[in-house]
This record gives sequence, structure tokens and C-alpha cells, in this order.
Amino acid sequence: MAEFFQQVVAGLATGAIFAALALALVLIHRATGVINFAQGEMAMFTTYIAWTLTANHGWSYWPAFAATLVLAFLLGVGLQRVVIRPIERASILTTVIVTIGLVLIFNGLAGLIWSAEVRAFPSPFPNDTWEVGGVAISQQDVGTFGVVLVMVTVLWAFFQFTKTGLALRASALNPDASRLVGVRVGWMLAIGWGLAAVLGAVAGMMTAPTVFLDPNMMQAVLIYAFAAAVLGGIDSPFGAVAGGLMLGVGLNLIGTYIDFVGAGLRLPVALLIILVVLLVKPAGLFGKAVTRRV
Amino acid sequence: MRRPRLLLALLALAGAIATGATAATSADPGITAKTILVGGTTPLSGSASAYASVARGANAYFKYVNARGGVNGRTIAYKFVDDGYDPARTVQATRQLVEQDKVFAIFNSLGTEHNAAIRDYLNAAKVPQLFVASGATTFGRDFKQYPWTIGFQPSYRAEGWIYGKYLARTKPGAKIGVLFQNDDYGKDLMAGLKQGIARSKVKVVAAQPFDVTSPDVQSQISRLKASGANVLALFATPRHAIQGYVFANRLGWRPLIINNAVSSASNIMTLAAEGGTNKAVENSVSIVFLKDPTDAKWRNDAAVRLYRSIMSRYARGANQKDVYHVYGMAVAYEFAKVLKAAGKNPTRASVMAQTRKLNDPANPFLLPGLTIKTSATERFPIEQALLQRWSKGSWKSFGGLWGYRAG
Amino acid sequence: MKRADLYRVGVFLLAVAAVLYLPQLRWVSDFRAQQFAYVAIYFIALLGLNVLTGYTGQISLGHGAFMAIGGYTTAILISEQGLKIGGHTFASDMKDVWTIPLAGVVAGLAGFLFGFPALRLTGLYLALATFAIAVAMPGLLKYERFEAFTGGGGGINLFGIPGLTGALEGVTIPVIDRTISFNEWLYYLCWTVALVMFALAWVLLRGKIGRSLRAVRDSELAAASSGVNLATYKTLAFGISAFYAGVAGSLLAIATSFVNPDTYPITLSIFLLVGVVVGGLGSLWPLVFGAIFIQFLPLWAQEVSKAQGAPAVVYGVILILVMLALPGGAGGLLRRLQSLTSRGYHRDR
Repeated sequence: MAEFFQQVVAGLATGAIFAALALALVLIHRATGVINFAQGEMAMFTTYIAWTLTANHGWSYWPAFAATLVLAFLLGVGLQRVVIRPIERASILTTVIVTIGLVLIFNGLAGLIWSAEVRAFPSPFPNDTWEVGGVAISQQDVGTFGVVLVMVTVLWAFFQFTKTGLALRASALNPDASRLVGVRVGWMLAIGWGLAAVLGAVAGMMTAPTVFLDPNMMQAVLIYAFAAAVLGGIDSPFGAVAGGLMLGVGLNLIGTYIDFVGAGLRLPVALLIILVVLLVKPAGLFGKAVTRRV
Repeated sequence: MRRPRLLLALLALAGAIATGATAATSADPGITAKTILVGGTTPLSGSASAYASVARGANAYFKYVNARGGVNGRTIAYKFVDDGYDPARTVQATRQLVEQDKVFAIFNSLGTEHNAAIRDYLNAAKVPQLFVASGATTFGRDFKQYPWTIGFQPSYRAEGWIYGKYLARTKPGAKIGVLFQNDDYGKDLMAGLKQGIARSKVKVVAAQPFDVTSPDVQSQISRLKASGANVLALFATPRHAIQGYVFANRLGWRPLIINNAVSSASNIMTLAAEGGTNKAVENSVSIVFLKDPTDAKWRNDAAVRLYRSIMSRYARGANQKDVYHVYGMAVAYEFAKVLKAAGKNPTRASVMAQTRKLNDPANPFLLPGLTIKTSATERFPIEQALLQRWSKGSWKSFGGLWGYRAG
Repeated sequence: MKRADLYRVGVFLLAVAAVLYLPQLRWVSDFRAQQFAYVAIYFIALLGLNVLTGYTGQISLGHGAFMAIGGYTTAILISEQGLKIGGHTFASDMKDVWTIPLAGVVAGLAGFLFGFPALRLTGLYLALATFAIAVAMPGLLKYERFEAFTGGGGGINLFGIPGLTGALEGVTIPVIDRTISFNEWLYYLCWTVALVMFALAWVLLRGKIGRSLRAVRDSELAAASSGVNLATYKTLAFGISAFYAGVAGSLLAIATSFVNPDTYPITLSIFLLVGVVVGGLGSLWPLVFGAIFIQFLPLWAQEVSKAQGAPAVVYGVILILVMLALPGGAGGLLRRLQSLTSRGYHRDR
């Protein structure tokens, strides 16, 4: 039993990271219908900025963390303005291809600026563990989980209780009507990109202390985040978080308890399960099925 | 397994001389009176691009050699191209090097499957496939089928074997948990380890594979801990090996950790320690065959000083702590030496013949005492290594040289 | 046959002549012929992906996986070990050319079957489902229990085995009794198949099937209400599309003479999508530009700079610039030019 809980605890921490990035994907998708393939690489890139601030400029952790979030926001807004907006009217696939271009650029730039060498990234949480009934609970994992939870809550409150949040939701839901009532939809989309980049930066900075920082750090995480977002329902923020946590825990349990699976087939089996879920619920677990009017 | 058989040796030697003699009459591609062109593939992009340092280190060394007049009056041009670590692209790029750029030889191409994918082609075209940058056993073992191919670094099997023998000798009750990368590299190390502990009390009690694409190895380490192992073998590339330390530490698990040579450079160990896992890293064991530029004991070593000066002149901006650069220089040094030994008018065949009789106890980038040695029946250039233990922030080697003997 | 069709057949024959003649030009070295062979391979895969994405509006991020199925089918059929099931060896030493249609059929079947569950999925959910196959494929191919077929991570080496027609000594073409080089052989083989597949796609898409598929893309509701059976056409599109991918995968195995899980990476699937969009969704022959783009841009990008990461930056920047300049891809540009030159004269696409 101890091993079961051990795997669950481990899974929740990984799952929280999937959840943060999945949420970023959902944010952009809800606003524009686009899957931003560069979300992971943007997260990696902003994490490098945090690393430079702490390692090269002697900043302490939390100021660097905050500054990185601000820079990430500006990066997101800037990208939307410079490369996404000009092709607003082209097909969604064109935008998706542009985000693939961004993947290449950020990955390459990180290598160009910081080399492909693996680096240590500081963590604000102590490296100790608590022993609870034979289960080792890492304080790092608890901290990661907590930070993601706080971020998600803040974001939710922002969307729910602020005027900008309302405008953001409105322009995602019905851009034309929002325009009529005076919402600057273009800027709202840019802010959406900015917030997504902030979430990505959090995911990156929480991932890096564990998997260490290199230009390819977020590639695997992005695939899982994509799966988590779809599992939960690509338009449901709550679903993204739930999907991320379920995926994190599920992957560990599959690897532990289904013997023929082992680690080699963990990913295929997890994806198969998601496919089956999608066949039963084609809009994900928490997504609303699209009803079409004739 | 690899005891010299006289008849075979003679036959091979005769064959070498014969081919050498016929080939010498017509000049091979890629060589003129002033230059020699070699080429190879390496991942400059994608998930394995950290290995590109090997090619850059070699390239810097060739530039240094060229600045000093080259080899037998010829400068060495080394064209390394990106394959994105995709064997299909390795094949395309290699054919381009051979057929379009007309290289004299393929040199230092990186990756196990990648070299396997081009081996038949190069052997059919009789193009030397020199000093393959992979420790897969097949590149040394299957020389009869592939006479134009030769490896360089200690084979993964030999490395695993050394760990096995070491444990069998010093820790008879060891129960090993193995974290291994799910490919030929991880499996070769594992096979060597099992060979090394054969007929001893040491057992592998659990083995957990992981895929290079997985984000972390937390679940695997937790299972290995649950198996009751008291030794953890990390047969993984740097990213996942470091994670092995991190997660073992998080679980409060303190086994003896064996870390394979691909991931045991000092800078990587330091990183693992910086991850707050000093206690987990302490007393780790690994093999070593290169001079690690971050190791204090080589600070004033002539070769390491040369290494630094070459790097600052010919690979400006590159990270000098990266031991892959040293590997690149070691292999480039050996190539230059082979070329010199092949005489004034080297041919593909005569260069290949030289690689079958290497006997170099003095490659300055390798540990003192190591001999690069091959013969007609023995094609593993480096088969020796020292064991080292991580203690208070640096590696300390201990014991004598280990040489791989099967059985 | 309509007059416009005659004109098109004429253009097609000219294209055939050009393709046949190209290797004779001096600037096309023997090696370039091989590179152009890869262009043909990507062209075939893009034609297939276009049937699905361009015509039916279904996004696939998993066509690399169907290429892998085709490639492994060919590799297993021609490799000396053959396919062993329960002590039976299902004959091998087949000639590579004969395995090409088989590879297409196997992959097509896989695609057709996948099309059924895919019916329930739309948009991004479908994209993820297909992406999942591409992500899972390397793991499946490496899986120990399939190693007898797939060769595990080491893959299957085809170079020099009797089943492979191409050899360093050159290839003798029986009827005209001429010996051509290995690379020329690959060039002619891939382009012959590509032209046949192109003609097939053209015939297929200009008729009822094409109209129905486009109707599905433009409005499923309207299509269904005018009597198009959605399920049939969507699964059919998947099948056709995977058939093309299988043929391309088979040719990739032959040209590379090696398959392993990494020769059909996830990035292949993604770059196929890039190729379709660069070529132009819903276009046919302009997809050649997409194929040229994904074959040559990586090679060219590393000529600019070999510094760590620089080729990727060059590739990414060019890709984005192309998309900003030509959001409709090469096909979109050509359509625009066409409507400029023949104002008022609407050709059906």
C-alpha cells in the first residue's frame, strides 16, 4: 500500500506541472481556437531568463520569479501582436504552423544563447522529505503543487471577478458581439497569450529544479500537457487541471501495476486510455459537447 | 572470446596488405597533396544536440593541427553535418558526404543506430567508417563482416562488466537495481553488468527501463527502491541520470550509486549535487578514461592546458568544462596519428590497415597508463578504464586499470 | 473529356517529360538525384495528408505513424529474416518494388480502421488522437515482444540484401537494358510512383469522391442533408490518406535502406503538416513546393550557420516568414495569380 501512495504522491507533483501547461494551452485555445505548439518552448525560454537572473545576476529566487512572470507576459503579448495577429484571417492551420516555427526559433535561440548543456535550476523549497506512514513526501513536490494551485486560483479569480477578466471571457466567447459593446478584442487576445505565457513560465520554473534545465526540457511535458488538456476537455480550464493530475497519477500507476506494460509501453497505454475516454466523451471529461443548430 | 587465432590473423593481415597494395595505385577521393577531407554526422539540432560538442572538440583539434602544418604536409578538413539524431537523415547526410563532397573517410559519426544504419553502405562502398562515436559492442565485435568500420570508446558492455566485477569483488551481498535507457546503449550496459556478476552472489533484483522521451524517472526510481536494492545503477544519459540522483534523494534512499561514463563528467556530477543531493552523490562510482577538464588534479597537466588553449583559440565561446570536447580531441588526435602512420600517400585501405594495428600508450587526452590497442583480431581500441569514486566535490580514482575480459 | 481536362493531361505529360529529363541536366549531380527522390517521397505523403486535411478538413498529426507502418511492411517483407509467426516464415526475399503497393494497402487498412473511432472526434480531439499514434509508434516498435518482427530499437537493415533492387554497382533496367546508378534508380522509382499517385489523386478528387469530401469539409450538415454519407467518406478519406502515407513510408525505407523507430519520428508527422500548409491546403501539384520545402530547408539552414541552435532558428524564421507572406501556401498564391490573370473566369479547384 505504501508503494501505491508513493506513486500517487509522485504522480500528483508531475501532474501539477502538466496541469499548468495544459491550462496555458486551454487559455489560448479558448480565445483563438489555436493549439500553441510553442507553449512548451516559451516556458523553457522564460525559465532560462529566470536562470540568468539568479545564476548570472545574483538575484534571489522570488524577485527573479516575479520578474520572469512579467517578462513572460510581455513575451506572450508581443508574440501575439507581431506574428499571430497578421495571420488572424488565414486558416487556423496556418497559425498552428506559425507556432511550430516558434518552437524551432525558441529551441534554437536557447541553444544559441545558453548552449545545450544541462544546468541546475534553483528551487525555493527545501530538499527534504516528510515521512508519513512509510510514504516519503518531498517538500519540493508539495511546494510545486502549492504554487500551481495558487496560480490557478489567482487566474480563476481574475477571470471571474475583474472587468478585464470578463472582457477576456466575452471576447473568447463571442468576438463580434464584444466588439460591438466596446471590448478591444485584439488586445484581449494578446492578453490571453500573455497569461498563457505566464502559466507556462510557472510550469517551466517548477519543472526545472527536478528535470534540470536544457533547451529540450519541456518537449515531453508539452506532449503530456496536450494529452491532459484533451482528456479534460480542451475548452475547460477545470478539465485541464483535473486532466493533468489524472494523467500524472495514472502514468505512474500504469507503470507500477500493469506488469506487461513496464516503462516501455507506459506512454502508448496512457494514450490508448485517453483515446477510449474520448470515444465515450468526444469533448473530453469536462468539456461541453458542441451542439449545433441547423 | 577474443583470443588471437594465428591463422585468421595472418589471413586478415594478408588481405589488408593485398587491398592496400591494389588501392594504392589509384588515388582515393577526398585527398590531394595539400588536403584531406573527412566528414561525419552529429546531432546539431534536436534532443541530442548536447553531443555536438564531440564534433566541435575534434574540429578545434584539427584546426590546431592545420595551423602547425597539418599531417605530412596535408591539412585536415572535417565537415560535420546535422542529422537531428534521426538515422534516416544520417543515411542521407552520409551519402551526401561520400557522393557529393567526396570525403576520404567518415569519421566520428555519432550514435549507435545511426552508425548501424550507414555501416553496410560504407562497407560496400569501401569507405572507412572511423572511430564510431558509440560504445555499442557490435562496432568492435563484427569486424569480419564490416572490415571498414572501427569504434573508439570503451564498449558499453565492457563498462557494465567492470561494474559487475567490482561489485562481485567488493560487495558480495549487493542487490542491484538498474535504471536503464530502453535502447541498445542501456541494454548493452545491462548485459555487461550481468556478465560481470555471473557466478557471484551479487544479483540484479530489479531493472526499470525508461524512454528517452519521458519527462522524468520518478516512478522508476520509486519502484527500484521498493525492490530492496542496495545498489542503484544509472545506465542513462545525463538528464535522466541526474534525475536518478534527485529522486533517490527525495525518497530518502541511500544506495551505492553506480553512474555510467556518458553521464559522469564532473560538471554533471556537480549539477546533481547542486540539485541539493550532495549526500546521494557522495561515494558514487563510475569508470573514467578521459582527462576531465574540471578535475583539479589535471589543472597543470600539459594536455589539459593544451586543450584549454586550443579551445580558446579555435572554439571560442564553447564551454571548456564540457568533457565531450576532450573526447573529440582524443579521437581527433588518434586520427591524426593514424594518418601520419599511413605515410606520404595514404589510401583508404592503408589508413584502415593502420587502425588494425594501433598501439598508442600516449594519447595525451586519455588517462595516463591507458593504451589504445587493436590487432587483426581485436578491434576495440580502448578497453581499459579506471574506477573512480566521487568524494567531496570531485572524482578520485582508485585501484588499478581494469581491462575487459569476457568470461 | 472536357477541353480543360485535355489541357491538364497535356500539362501532366509535360511534367512527366520534365521529371524524366531532369537527371540529365548537368547541375543535377548524381547525388542531387537522390535528394529529389526524397522530394518525391514527401510529395506522395503530402498528397495523402491533403486528402484528409485539405479536402476533408480533418487534421492529422500522425501521418508519420502510417509511414512507419508502410516502411516496416516493406522492410519485413524484403529482409532476410522475414515475418515469423509460430514457426512459419512468411516468405521474404520479395523484391522491394512489389512491396510498395502492399505497404500502401497495409497502412491504408490501418488508416481505414482508425477512421472508425476517429468518426466521433473532430478538430483538435482528432488531431490529438492522430498525434497519439505518432507518439506511441516508436514505443510499440521497440516493444520487446514485437522484436522478432521489428528488430526492436536496432531496426532492420536493408542495404545489400537481395530484396533491395538498388545497389552501389548500379541497377540494370530490363527492357531498355541500360544500367543506371543507385541514386538515379531511386530518383526514377520514387518519381514514377509519385506521378502515378498524383494522377490517381487527381482522377479521384475531381469526381464524385472529391466533391463529396469537399462537401464534408465545408459543412458536414449540408453534406449529410444532400445525401453524402459522412461516415463512409470520412473513413474513406482516412484510408486513402494512410494508403498514400504507407507508399511514401515504403519508399522512404527503400531509399534509406534502413528502418528503426527513430526513422519515423514525431517530428516527421509535424513537418508533413508543415509541408501541406506550405504547399497549400486543397491544392494538388503545388504540394511539390511543400515537399521541396521540408526536404531542402533543413539542409540549407545548417549551411547558414552551424552554431548550436542556429539551424533551428533559421528554419523557424523562414517558416514564419513564408506563412506571413503566403498564408494560403504556394497553392494559395497560384490561385491568386490565376484569378488575377483570368479575371472573371472561375475554374473549379
